[in-house]
Amino acid sequence: MSRRHIRNILLKEWVLLFTDPNSALVIVLVPFLVVGQAILYIWLAFRFAGESMLTTQVFQIALQKLVAAVPGVAQLPGNEQLLVLLLSQFTFFLLLIPTMIAMTVSTFSIVDEKLSGSLEALLATPVKTWELLLGKALAGAIPALVMTWISAGVLLLVISAMGWGDVSGFVVTPGWFLTLFLLTPAIAILSFMMGVTGSSRARDPRGAQNTALLIIFPVLALIGIQVTGIVWFTPTLILLLALVIGIADFVSLRAAVRLFRRESIVLMQEIDKLHFNRC
Amino acid sequence: MAIIETFDLSRNFGKTIAVEDLTLTVEAGEILGFLGPNGAGKTTTIRMLAGMIAPTKGYAIVADHRTDRDVEQLHEVIGILTETPGFYSRLSAKRNLEYFAGFYSSIQSPSEQVEKYLKLVRLWERCNDRVGTFSKGMKHRLALVRALLHEPKVLFLDEPTAGLDPEAATEVREMIRRLGKEGHDLLRRRFFRRQIIVQLETSETKVTDVAKGLPFVQEVREEGNQLVLELTDSERNRPELVKAIVEAGGRVITVSEKQYPLEEVYLRLIREEEGNES
Repeated sequence: MSRRHIRNILLKEWVLLFTDPNSALVIVLVPFLVVGQAILYIWLAFRFAGESMLTTQVFQIALQKLVAAVPGVAQLPGNEQLLVLLLSQFTFFLLLIPTMIAMTVSTFSIVDEKLSGSLEALLATPVKTWELLLGKALAGAIPALVMTWISAGVLLLVISAMGWGDVSGFVVTPGWFLTLFLLTPAIAILSFMMGVTGSSRARDPRGAQNTALLIIFPVLALIGIQVTGIVWFTPTLILLLALVIGIADFVSLRAAVRLFRRESIVLMQEIDKLHFNRC
Repeated sequence: MAIIETFDLSRNFGKTIAVEDLTLTVEAGEILGFLGPNGAGKTTTIRMLAGMIAPTKGYAIVADHRTDRDVEQLHEVIGILTETPGFYSRLSAKRNLEYFAGFYSSIQSPSEQVEKYLKLVRLWERCNDRVGTFSKGMKHRLALVRALLHEPKVLFLDEPTAGLDPEAATEVREMIRRLGKEGHDLLRRRFFRRQIIVQLETSETKVTDVAKGLPFVQEVREEGNQLVLELTDSERNRPELVKAIVEAGGRVITVSEKQYPLEEVYLRLIREEEGNES
């Protein structure tokens, strides 16, 4: 029964998502901007700064860790080493795609229904809270994930089109696959769960937007760690990280169910009246 | 057989008492309406009975389910028309209803069920139109269909005609009446009270007593030479009533039926209560 309920929610959410020009634009535009911006940044760095970038302490530390993880990189000329370093770091930038989409799409998913009154009608059906929340989160996470994978494919095409195909073997490593197919889904679900939870607690879209800001911080922290070379994410580390975030997904679903107050949603107006009377 | 039973059902919001020690029994097939001024606790009672909010004291059993415990099972067998008929305005009427139908295990084919009910309320021609383009009355009819799709054992209607223009209100009321005839248990706020008025040549206590003793007579009132009665199934039992009155020696001049809209009944009750208090 749960599978039927979740499928029902997914299909409805997708129809709403892709018939809303704003949401559809966000889903298409965000990956385009992230990939475009990253390629531009890599191209500018490679074209104008080149090898000299590797002399900075931050890049030297990162390069040492990259060489330790992928020893073959040491044999490459300096500018290609830089390219591998930048492209490898870019994989983590892809994590921004599901989180940014979650920030805009998921944060309105429940608060909008609260305001329109459809949520009260939905809560009168036999749907379970966890089915509703998971369905809502997956409805955003799945398209965001597909767009991230498409972006990764586009990146590979661009690498090849720009004549950087020789270094792609050092970028498309087991770590790259683990990041895309394990870490990204885990991050996507976590981001959307956080968004949906925030949305379920918010009384209006503005409140939901405020909590949405929190979604992006874990990913920014990961990117920061990777870029500054504090830690180089080896396949083992990525696997471990994906596992931890996978557990966090489960915990976040449980927390979301606990934080979801069916009664408060039904009684929104009464609670308002009560506050009004107190004033 | 009782379909709804409440035992000291109470609900507070902070220090405000919304419902206090409500104990009632509603039999299967019975129609019960709640009347009262704003803030009397009618919506709160309906929400508690529908398992949408929990009581602060007491409990209720609806269709054999505790409303504060077996919420999912309860929702399988009840239907509720909420005050705001919330829909997804960008989805069609059909898609909206199919979505809600998809949550009930009793509905094997949501699209067939939706078609059946949309035809019943004469909205099938607009089934592919976005709900956002519907009038208020049409949305209310659609919300009523949503409450009925899974053919619930108990139906709760909370202000089904509130905020509607007279035409739309009549339309919704007609639909409720039509659906009611098809055998749904209706618990609703709006209803019509029918009274049978028997005009006699002279007033006689014996005739009144006989009428009071008839099993289908719910209420009898003497108003001069008139007997004002309320019957169960008035159409079927009216000939029986006249026969009993004549046999008791009553000389019947006319028998007529008067229908009091709810508003009139309500105002009369409120005035009576105010009169008693003063």
